Amino acid sequence: MSYAISGECCSDASCVAVCPMNSIHPSPGEPGFGTGASLFIDPRTCIDCGACADICPVDAAQPADRSAVEDVQRNAAYFAEQEPLDAMDLDSWGEPSYELWGGGPRRVLVVGAGPAGMYATRELLLRTSAEVTLVDRLEHVGGLVRYGVAPDHPSTKQIIRTFERIVRHDRVRWLPGTDAGELPDEFDAVVHAVGARRSRRLGIVGEEAARTAEEFVAWYNGRPGAPVPADLAGPRAVVVGNGNVALDLARILLSDEQRLRSMQVPAAVRDVLAASGVKEVVLLGRRGPEEAAYTQSALQELLATVGDRVELRYHARPTSWTPEGLTLDDGTTIAAGNLFTAIGFEGQPIDGLPFDPDRGIVPNVRGAVVGRPGHYVAGWIKHGARGGIGVNKACAQETVMTLVSSSRALVSPGS
Amino acid sequence: MNETAQRLLGSASRLSRDPETEIDWDAPVGDGYGMSPEWSTLYGTPYWDELTEAQQRELTRHESASVATTGIWFELILQQLVLRDVYDKPARSAEFQWALTEIADECRHSIMFARATERMVEPAYRPRWPARELGRMFKTVATGESAYAAILVAEEVLDVMQRDWMRDRRVEPLVRTVNHIHVVEESRHMVFAREETRERLAGAGRGRRWVSALVIAIAADMIVSSMVGPAVYANVGLDVDRAVREARRNEHHRSLLRTSCANLMDFLGSLGLLTPAASRVYRRTGLL
Ligand SMILES: Cc1cc2nc3c(=O)[nH]c(=O)nc-3n(C[C@H](O)[C@H](O)[C@H](O)COP(=O)(O)OP(=O)(O)OC[C@H]3O[C@@H](n4cnc5c(N)ncnc54)[C@H](O)[C@@H]3O)c2cc1C
Ligand code: SF4
Ligand code: SF4
Repeated sequence: MSYAISGECCSDASCVAVCPMNSIHPSPGEPGFGTGASLFIDPRTCIDCGACADICPVDAAQPADRSAVEDVQRNAAYFAEQEPLDAMDLDSWGEPSYELWGGGPRRVLVVGAGPAGMYATRELLLRTSAEVTLVDRLEHVGGLVRYGVAPDHPSTKQIIRTFERIVRHDRVRWLPGTDAGELPDEFDAVVHAVGARRSRRLGIVGEEAARTAEEFVAWYNGRPGAPVPADLAGPRAVVVGNGNVALDLARILLSDEQRLRSMQVPAAVRDVLAASGVKEVVLLGRRGPEEAAYTQSALQELLATVGDRVELRYHARPTSWTPEGLTLDDGTTIAAGNLFTAIGFEGQPIDGLPFDPDRGIVPNVRGAVVGRPGHYVAGWIKHGARGGIGVNKACAQETVMTLVSSSRALVSPGS
Repeated sequence: MNETAQRLLGSASRLSRDPETEIDWDAPVGDGYGMSPEWSTLYGTPYWDELTEAQQRELTRHESASVATTGIWFELILQQLVLRDVYDKPARSAEFQWALTEIADECRHSIMFARATERMVEPAYRPRWPARELGRMFKTVATGESAYAAILVAEEVLDVMQRDWMRDRRVEPLVRTVNHIHVVEESRHMVFAREETRERLAGAGRGRRWVSALVIAIAADMIVSSMVGPAVYANVGLDVDRAVREARRNEHHRSLLRTSCANLMDFLGSLGLLTPAASRVYRRTGLL
């Protein structure tokens, strides 16, 4: 048999560290790791010990007989071109790497309790003896995992429980509902992990009447204060964008009442979606299918869920949005009642820190903010709005390493 | 539970390892490190820097042998815990058969560790007397989640170290092979121990959880603090008082342990076993 990893994988690589047969790839450091796509299990070397499934925070690794056929095939296909790795030859494994104790700071402020902030906090607790103050504007941990990840992906949201345990550590002072600006300046280092929530704009006529992904996902996930969308008018909606978020929107828009009942969404959201007249969705990509940003597993899931009610259109550039519909640069108009834009997210400037408006990030070197000693960034505000939850783990680890090594050189703790 | 046990039996039939035939016990042993030097209890201290490389190497060989001996000690406890637990279970169940498979694995591992340490260093190590006596009591009385979670803690702490050492080219090849054999079979044991712990705890009230959490934490403390004792430093010819003092304050070692045990702590936390009292013990031991 063997185990297989499904598309719900957030590639945080917890499983790689526990596999006794080196069957899970790409592992950190290998090409392809950290792109946000899932990890895969080589069925030829997996011995079915179940260790990966046991450790996976989102239940993405499962025995093959409990996985979808496509998932099993995807896993096998990833290795099709390569020879199996001989786990008995221990030199075929990567060498262990050690991070040396660097003393580190005493008091650290982490701003933002999304994945990047939570992984940074965890790393600080593990690698240093610092006291961590963690703040978020919102009342709950999770960031976009709570208020972004689609409600029909409940296993992806499970990671929130791990985050909730981190805030209970007694070296953590957790201040929910707090803006970073409200705190006195009494920290040895600050990690800004504020994310990049703002939707990018198309820059076309009539765009103000469209819904951005930012607003729409916040609404269906019940983020406090998120605006209710205007009438969802049928029968057709257009979603501009070719990433996984665009696919999320299409799936949610086309969910029927039965499917909606199986999701953890506020009752009001369920009612609005169930009553919507949207029966089909056109997904618009600027470039061709080869260049689309969505992952194959997300596309498969969409097609399996909504069938032919979604139309994928590529090489299309919108020019204006009117009550008649969306006009493209080739002059044609797609008649539609609603327009959604999901063409990516960008960070916003942080008071007192430099900002790179082109990339929407705070310029940094391995997490250290350029020209502002003591200030660090992690997550989407550091590397741009790309990659899944797990990518932020490696990212936050890098930042904390930089923070620790720049706050003090290697000290001899026994002295 | 039976489904898990069934899978584990299937896994064992796909790959079980026999140290008797897989390892050439007559081959000469080189002078490689006994463990990754970064895992030495003195690594990062001023004392470590004063040692010659040959001394550092020798120290890691003794530390490694001492850790392996702790492994044997706990495997003995574990075999009895598991045997007592399945005493009146139906022999045809997968759970029963898996339990005996695990005991057989542990039995082979203990022999393997014993032979390997004999080949690596001269003196024999033993856990401290109070640990041995507490272990004697524990293996006679512990049941349910306390037994299985303690098994898990012991296995996991050993496992994280061995995963590093087996991949490290600086470590003596015999140690690397022994460690990989242990890691492969232990991964199944840990899956089983987690599943049993989860199952036994389902429906447990707060009082029982509180007691179990503390018992498990104390067992963890016993195991971790027994791994490397003063005898190791004495046998390498070090100033025992100074070595013990610097090792105790070694923040590098503590952060390495904490990092390695993060998954374990997540698991215990998810079951409500990181009560304030238990957390205090884990922090003192250096696991949290
Ligand atoms: C719609 C959507 C769906 C997604 N679905 C998936 C998925 O299924 N699987 C997957 O792996 N990844 C998914 N992702 C990606 C994933 O959510 C991101 O990789 C991740 O959330 C980025 O983490 P972050 O910590 O950098 O930012 P965020 O998650 O945005 O966290 C930032 C936090 O900082 C807080 N904050 C901001 N400013 C301040 C301030 N001034 N003071 C205090 N607090 C502040 C915010 O409230 C927020 O909690 C999705 C992303 C989106 C947008
Ligand atoms: S989510 Fe993490 S642990 Fe689970 S399969 Fe993906 S990489 Fe492995
Ligand atoms: S089941 Fe075991 S061997 Fe197979 S991939 Fe998972 S951890 Fe590795």
